[in-house]
Amino acid sequence: MIELRNVHVKLASAAGEVNILRGIDLSVGAGESVGVVGPSGAGKSTMMMVIGGLERASSGSVTVAGADLTGLNEDKLALWRRDAVGIVFQAFRLVPTMTALENVAVPLELAGRRDAFERAAVALQDVGLGHRLDHYPEQLSGGEQQRVALARAFVIRPKLLIADEPTGNLDGTTGKQIIELMFKMKEEAGTTLLLITHDPALAQRCDRVVRIADGQLSALGAAA
Amino acid sequence: MTGWGLALTYARRELRGGVKGFRIFLACLFLGVAVIAAVGSLSSAIVGGLARDARSILGGDISVRQIHQPISPEQLTWLKTEGASVSEIIEMRAMAIRPDDGRRNLVQLKAAGDTYPLVGTLTFSEQLPGSVFAVTDGVVGAAVEKSLATRLDLKLGDKLKVGEAAVEVRALIEKEPDRAVSAIDFGPRLMIGMAGIAQTDLLQPGSLAEFHYKVTLKPGDSIANFRARLLAAFPDPQWRVRDLSQASPQIERFVERIGLFLTLVGLTALLVGGVGVGNAVGSYLNGKTTTIATWKALGAPAGLIFKTYLMLVMAMALIGTLGGTLLGSLAPFAVEAFFGAILPVPIAASFYAVPLLSSLAFGILTALAFSLWPLGRAREVPAAALFRDVVAPRGGRPRWTYLAGIAVTSILLAGLAIVGADRQDLAAWFVGGVIGSFLLFRIAARGLMALAKWIGESRLNPRLRLALANLHRPGAPTGSMVLSLGLGLTVLVTVALLEGNLNNQVAERLPERAPSFFFIDIQSTQVAEFDELVKATPGQSDLQRTPTLRGRIVRVNDTPSDQVKTTGDQGWVLDSDRGLTYAAEPPPGAKIVAGQWWAPDYSGPPLIAFESRAAAGLGVGIGDTLTVNVLGREVTGKIAVLREIEWGSLALNFAIVFSPGLLDKAPHTHIATVHVPPAQEDKLLRAVTDRFPNITAVRVQDALDAATEVLEGIAAAARAVTLLTLSVGTLVLAGAMLAGHQRRVYDAVVLKVLGATRRDIASAFLLEYGLLGLGTALVAAAVGITASWAVTVFLMRAQWVFLPGTVLVTILICLVLTLGIGFAGTWRALGQKAAPLLRNA
Repeated sequence: MIELRNVHVKLASAAGEVNILRGIDLSVGAGESVGVVGPSGAGKSTMMMVIGGLERASSGSVTVAGADLTGLNEDKLALWRRDAVGIVFQAFRLVPTMTALENVAVPLELAGRRDAFERAAVALQDVGLGHRLDHYPEQLSGGEQQRVALARAFVIRPKLLIADEPTGNLDGTTGKQIIELMFKMKEEAGTTLLLITHDPALAQRCDRVVRIADGQLSALGAAA
Repeated sequence: MTGWGLALTYARRELRGGVKGFRIFLACLFLGVAVIAAVGSLSSAIVGGLARDARSILGGDISVRQIHQPISPEQLTWLKTEGASVSEIIEMRAMAIRPDDGRRNLVQLKAAGDTYPLVGTLTFSEQLPGSVFAVTDGVVGAAVEKSLATRLDLKLGDKLKVGEAAVEVRALIEKEPDRAVSAIDFGPRLMIGMAGIAQTDLLQPGSLAEFHYKVTLKPGDSIANFRARLLAAFPDPQWRVRDLSQASPQIERFVERIGLFLTLVGLTALLVGGVGVGNAVGSYLNGKTTTIATWKALGAPAGLIFKTYLMLVMAMALIGTLGGTLLGSLAPFAVEAFFGAILPVPIAASFYAVPLLSSLAFGILTALAFSLWPLGRAREVPAAALFRDVVAPRGGRPRWTYLAGIAVTSILLAGLAIVGADRQDLAAWFVGGVIGSFLLFRIAARGLMALAKWIGESRLNPRLRLALANLHRPGAPTGSMVLSLGLGLTVLVTVALLEGNLNNQVAERLPERAPSFFFIDIQSTQVAEFDELVKATPGQSDLQRTPTLRGRIVRVNDTPSDQVKTTGDQGWVLDSDRGLTYAAEPPPGAKIVAGQWWAPDYSGPPLIAFESRAAAGLGVGIGDTLTVNVLGREVTGKIAVLREIEWGSLALNFAIVFSPGLLDKAPHTHIATVHVPPAQEDKLLRAVTDRFPNITAVRVQDALDAATEVLEGIAAAARAVTLLTLSVGTLVLAGAMLAGHQRRVYDAVVLKVLGATRRDIASAFLLEYGLLGLGTALVAAAVGITASWAVTVFLMRAQWVFLPGTVLVTILICLVLTLGIGFAGTWRALGQKAAPLLRNA
């Protein structure tokens, strides 16, 4: 499902070139869940962005869901992402001027699906928000916003789900609920999951945990 | 759903966030478009009013005018036979004198026949019983304009002397239907019947009298047919024929010229507003970075992002533009309602499509031109921005396709300004000037930032260093603030200096050099005695007297004058009758630029000394010929001399001077100018007009006062539009301040945490705005001074005077504005509590 071979990412900054990723090799099978841990600034987000087609590798090969991402231009990456990748952010990232229903429908609208809103409504019911279809993000609690984000990520039945600290802005109880929901939906859809987290317990819920430090990857082995 | 369809859906959803971020955008567009729409609509309304009232203004369907002598009986019979009715009118300037106390005034004398007026109605506000215009016991009845009654303290029944005639004031004119509309009026109307003109004895050979024949057409006849028949019947007349399309060409040209000037200034306001539009769109899109990045993360192509926000921005542009156009379209109605009774021109208040569509187009194109840059940059927001903090706003240019779009839109905007102008050369210069100013202010802003950075590197007072740092830090709005405020100030300086120079010319310099009087209609038999009388006046100097008669250029070389193409602004020389003279020697101080003056005793074929700019406009030079119709006879002269004439001196000058030997044999009069001390003016006026009732005196100071009044009116209109430009610039400044407000609050909070007092912070912010204002003002002053110099010297062909007071006032205005806005922003920033911001950080 995911194959990274000797991936390097170098970014230009005011202080000169910075090596963010220094020779990453990673293989993830379809349906597998992988926890990604590491200190701040280690390159976790950058590796996720490379896998999600949001950042280009400076060198190395990146193949995700059967697509060689290094050969795709920006628009082709966007189209690929639309159909294959769901992303859940720490800060939810819902569009503030759209209702919950409209937020979930966006990937389907982008794909030109005529049943976008019907499917979005079903997705919201699946996450327990069938009664909040017409509410705007500012009218929803943090947990509810993250559920909308989950519904939006899964409405396309993605091959890959990238979750970047999905419980970082939530309290403990709500966070647990979100994690349960996410894993449940992952199992139902057969989605591969990459989960960035600072929470060791959460990382252990995954099939495997990898650690990034100083731009390099080390596997911590299968979760206990 | 298609790309555009989905973009429209997303744009509508984005609008749910409100239009708060577009307030400055809407205000800038609204004001700029409103000015252009108002000026264009008002000009059209005035021209429309002149056209609507053309028949009344002309006095009929056709107007035939001949100078010096009436048309022949045969010609008059023809007009009466071919037309439905004919009205005969004689007009000339004369002196009206109160016989009791000798007070006198220049008047526009009009003698009208029984059929007058053919169109419209002559109405009186007051009149004595009985016939107004009958000659009773040798006394000529007259109607006068109220202004004459005021100037000479006249009541109904009072007596005047006009020429040799005793005149009784029997009515006050309320409305004269065919009163010529002109920018400057030299003498009030005094109207008598045709029977009374002979009593005045003013119609002498060569007198500057105009004989008008107003004709209405028979049903079924057309103007074109009538003119064709008239030309066929009388192929070489000396008269001028006008129809409804030429009822008031001079005032139309005047209105169009003023309209063009005000439209161009209004366009400057719109362009200044364009800077505000660009800032507002940029600021709005900066706030949408997360939304744009989220869409991209979800799979939206970059083109969809662009289309979405383009539609949103253009929807806002349409609202602002439509609002401004609607407001501007009401200008003719407002002017008619509040000023219609006192305006000297008619107004046809209506909605005029061309100026309104133009203002719409200007607004939309301006919004597009200034929005494409931030829209193009927004398109490039990476989805990765969701994972990285955006510390500073994205810099860099958008893709070349958007740069090309900006170029195309700007060219369309410039093209619209030039094509829609009646003087395209002036409009092109204006466009060039605006482009140059934009570039200049961009460079000036960068220079100011570089200077601030360089000075800031020294060990300075920390407040000053902070102020300088704020001017050149990444994301500083220095560029747009300098541009928007600077453009508005440049227009203000330019207009203020132009107004000051015009006033200086008309009110101060001209009176020093101009003569005190013009005396016209001096008969040849009177010249010796006239000269003696004038020379006897104490303190008199510079008496100049020249023979004169009127004629019209009918051919240039072999080309009839109506087929001659003129260049520049020199069409006037073929437009109508011109004053002609003859002279054996060049006039005193004549500046000959080509050819050689004829010998004093020259008696060969007619030679002409021609004004050099008029010659250039006609495309003629030494050796070419001009054929002039004088009193029905065509005279052809060869151009032997080209001379440069400084018309602004008001000295006696003629564009066409013939060699002696031909015109001196025609009936003609003399015109004279003289300079006397102000204390002697009344005495000289009385002496000449008492002794020679046929001579008319024009007091130059009265003419200058009338011109000053007109200039003040134009200046007031220009100032109003200029202040609007400045208001738009201030809006843009306020918008830039608002956009940077959060950053300013953040700076203030952090500085407070580090131990800065509120005074420290306020001083730094105010210093920043003060430096910005001073830098902008200095550049604006320099550009404005240069622009006013160029217009005064090259367009108005006058001497330019530097007016430091005007420039200083403008600099002060700039400082007050920037400091005021800076103070408002600082006050708000200092009022924010630190805790909430620190907690979130």
